[in-house]
Formats: sequence, structure tokens, C-alpha cells
Amino acid sequence: MNEEKKIALKLEILAREKEAIRRKLVITARQLAVTAKEKESARRSLVVTARKLAVIAKEKEVARRKLVITAKQLKKMSETLENKVLARTKDLEQIRSRTEAILTSIGDGLVVVDKDGKISYINKSFEEMLGWKSGEVLGKSMVQVVPREDQNGIKVLFEERILTQVLSGQKFVADLTNPFYYIRKDKSRFPTSSIVAPVVLGGKIVGAVEVFRDITKEKEIDKAKTEFVSLASHQLRTPLSTVNWYSEMLLAGDAGEVTSNQKKYLEEIYRGNQRMVELVNTLLDVSRIEMGTFIVELKSTNIVRLVRSVVEEQKPQIDDKKITFLSSFEDNIPLMQADPKLLRMVIQNLLSNAIKYTPDKGRVEVSLFLDNKKNVILKISDTGYGIPKNQHNKIFTKLFRADNVIGKDTEGTGLGLYIAKSIVEQAKGKIWFESDENKGSTFFVVLPLRETRK
Amino acid sequence: MKSKTKNRTILVVEDERPLVQAIETKLEKNGFDVITARTVEQAARYLEEINNIEAIWLDHYLPGDKTGLDFVAMLKSPDSKWKKLPVFIVSNTASNNNVRSYLRLGVSKYCVKADHRLDEIVTEIADFLDNPEK
Repeated sequence: MNEEKKIALKLEILAREKEAIRRKLVITARQLAVTAKEKESARRSLVVTARKLAVIAKEKEVARRKLVITAKQLKKMSETLENKVLARTKDLEQIRSRTEAILTSIGDGLVVVDKDGKISYINKSFEEMLGWKSGEVLGKSMVQVVPREDQNGIKVLFEERILTQVLSGQKFVADLTNPFYYIRKDKSRFPTSSIVAPVVLGGKIVGAVEVFRDITKEKEIDKAKTEFVSLASHQLRTPLSTVNWYSEMLLAGDAGEVTSNQKKYLEEIYRGNQRMVELVNTLLDVSRIEMGTFIVELKSTNIVRLVRSVVEEQKPQIDDKKITFLSSFEDNIPLMQADPKLLRMVIQNLLSNAIKYTPDKGRVEVSLFLDNKKNVILKISDTGYGIPKNQHNKIFTKLFRADNVIGKDTEGTGLGLYIAKSIVEQAKGKIWFESDENKGSTFFVVLPLRETRK
Repeated sequence: MKSKTKNRTILVVEDERPLVQAIETKLEKNGFDVITARTVEQAARYLEEINNIEAIWLDHYLPGDKTGLDFVAMLKSPDSKWKKLPVFIVSNTASNNNVRSYLRLGVSKYCVKADHRLDEIVTEIADFLDNPEK
């Protein structure tokens, strides 16, 4: 190879290399262009992000400012609230101590129980009257802590306690007629009068409040009254006995013969005086009933015989008025536990009323029959004046006499039915009547037999 | 009216003058010899002094410190020589407690003046003395 050829070859190689480089450069340039574009787009997105961040930052700042304000407000509010609560608490405290002071200072004993009858509050008077300290009785059953007994020292059963009845939703009961006693911690007792009321929250009984007081003083006054009545009646009876006995002796001729006219006058004196004696006796009975000094002596009593003897006793009046008298007694009426004297008074009152308030030639019926073997029923009916409908509810009231008989020539005190009702109810019986004016009346008495065998 | 061969002596303890007179008259008409006293003390003295007293008619409330009840308590005490003497209480104080106390002490009868005729009471006493075991 010659030189020229060699150079030409070398040049050609160079040219080729150049071309290769140029191509490479073109490629690189293209690549660079692409990168530049990418960079530009990245820059742009960065700008957007930066702007967004700026916005968020601004928002954040706004929010922060708001929060600062709210926090301040909250602080202020909480301070106000705190102050208010403090003031309110103070008020409440005042009210509470006021209430407490009032409850504590009540002269009557006071006890609050929950729905189970457990003591949740007692006042000072409770402590003083019963000898228990608050700490000893809180949470304990009132009925157990403070036993209650009747006049005769018989304990009132749990289920019969007013407190129990009130808590079980029974209607409010306040029995002031029968005195009862509360037993102190030291087992001594005092007569009590109490009132129990339920505590109702949202329509439900959640407990009860009982207020009670010591009625020793009242009892003493009552006793004095009884003694006074007894003494007064004694004083009344003495002159009555004098009139009674002297007119009796005059009538008997103990002071010489009396003319028939004198006899008539003496008989009037005697009868008038007899009425006075009966009146005093009736008044005595009423005062005994009212003062609870009626002594009940239960005995095995034959009620049929009792009714028969009362009828026998009133036979003259029945015959006088030509009254048709009928009686019927169921067979096998057993002996019953009753006070014959008191039972007799009931029968006497009802029968004498029937006779008294039935015009001549009327009809009176007496019957005795059993009901379920547990009760005996006495039924006394007449065809008399009857009781006006509008006075039915008053007929057992003391001293009440119906309009339609006051005008008639009948004696009466308005005490008979009052006494009868008191006796029947004391014996745990019932008394009622049916009556139509000018047709007659029927009285019913239901008495528990409390049967006794001979 | 029963005729008696020998009169019975009865001590009437009652303070109300008109009543005493009536009681005395009625009892005498029924064949009793009557001694009257106004107080428990007086009655006790008569009992000691007069030894043929067969019965006592006694009121409850009497003047002085002692009531009929005190007198009966004394009469019926275990070592009393009048333990068996029948006592009839005739009083207007029918307090249940008094009646019970009298009957517990062993009096023969208790009756309320105002509720009884005088001749009724006298007859009852006479009958009782005739048949003491009844």
C-alpha cells in the first residue's frame, strides 16, 4: 500500500469516527432536551406545591389565631362557671343547712325511710324521744328499730304497720282513734300519734316520711276527762236514785195508801226519772266509747238466747203497739266469743228502734243466721217510718235523729245507733241498713263467730 | 214478804242521808234490824262493838279517806274475823275496774243504785242470806 492510500484510509476512518461522534452528540443533545423538559415540569410542580403550602400555612395561621381566641373564651367561661357553681353551692349549702336546721328543730319526731323501709334520716326529736342516735339506726329497718304496740301491749305486726302499708302503695292511713305506743331503745314506751306519707318521685314510691309525737299529755287530759265524767255521773245518779226509791216506796204504799190519782202522778215521776237514769247511763256509755275505756270481756256467748231475752224484755212495747212480731233463728248457731253485755246493747238498740219507729199494727221481724260458718248475721226489719234517703249517711252519727221521726211522738237521744256501730266495729263486725221512707228499715249486723266449743 | 222468827242485823254504810232513810225503812219492812254508818271508820267500829251483824250493805264513795274498797280489802284480808261476812256493794260508781276489784275480793253482789228498784235489792239480799250457798 502506498502512502496515499494509507492516508485516504486513515481519513476515511477519521470521518467515520467523526460521524459516530456526531451521532452520539445528536443523541445526547436529544437526551438533554428531554431532561430539560422534565426539569421544567418538575420545577413547575414545585412552584404549585410551594403555593399550596403557602395557602395552608396561611390557613393554619388563621386557625391558630382562632384557637387562641377560643381558648381565651373557654378560660373565661370556665372561670364564670366556676364562680357560678361556687355561688350555687353556697346557696345550696345554705338551703341544706336551713332545711336541716328546720327538720332538726321540729318538735315532732321525724324519720325518712327509703322504699325498703330503711331509715335514711332522723331528726333530733326522734333521737330524744326514742333514745336512738342517728348513727345507730341509719340504714336499719324503721319497723324493727321502733316496735309499735297497742294499748294492751300487743305488738303491731310488720304488715299491719302504717309504714309498711304506705310503702306498699296502699292509701294513706291515719288511725287516730286507736292509741298506740312506740317502744324506746330502753324498752320503755310512750303513747304516740303519727302520720305517714309516701315520698313519690316520677310516679313511683321511693320512700316515706313519718312524723310522730308523744301524746302523753293528751292522754293525761283524756284520763282526767274520764274521771270527771265518772264522777259527774256518780253525782247525777245519787239524786236520781233518791227520786227513784222514794217514788217507788210511795207507790208501794210504804208511807200509807195513795189514791189512784196520786198513784198516776207518782208513776209519771217514776217514769220520767227512769228516763233520766237511762240517759245518764247512755251518756256514760258514749263517754266510755270515746275515751276507749269500754272494757270488753269476751265470753262464750249464746246469741240466740240473748236475742230471745231482749225480745222478751220488749214484749210489753210490742203488745202495746199491736205489732206483728216474727222471729226466726237458724238451727245450730254455735256459741260465739263476744261480750254479752255489749252485744245485748246492740240488739236492744236495734230492736227498740224497730218497735219505736213502727206505727201501731206494723210488723217487726228478727232473724239470726249463719254465713259461711264464720259469721253470724242478725237481721232486724220493720214496716216503720223508714229513714229519708238524704239522711242515710248520717244515721250512725252521734246525736243525729232523722227529720221524719223528730216530729213524731217518739223519745230518742240519737245515741243508740252510734253506740251500736261503735260496739259492732270494735268486735270487728259490720253494721248497715236498707231503708225506704214510709216503707220500713232493715238493719243488718254481721259478727265474727270466733267460735268456741262447749 | 217473808216472815222471820228472828230479825237479821245488817250494817248499812252509806253517806247520802235521804238514801239511808229509804234503805233503812225498806230493810226494816223486810224484817231486818238496821245499823247505819256514814264512814268506813265508823262502820269498822260498829263491827267491833256489835257482834250479831250478819251482812253489810256498802257504798263505794264515802266521806273520809277510805272508800268501800278499802273496807272490803280489810274485811276480806286473810286474818280477818269477818272474812265470811256477806258484803253487798250498792253504788252508783260502776267503773269496771271497781266492780272487778270488788268481785275479786269476794263480795257477794254488786249493783248500781240507779239501775235497781230498792225492793229488788232488798229481796236479793234476803234471798242470798236464806240460801248462802247459791
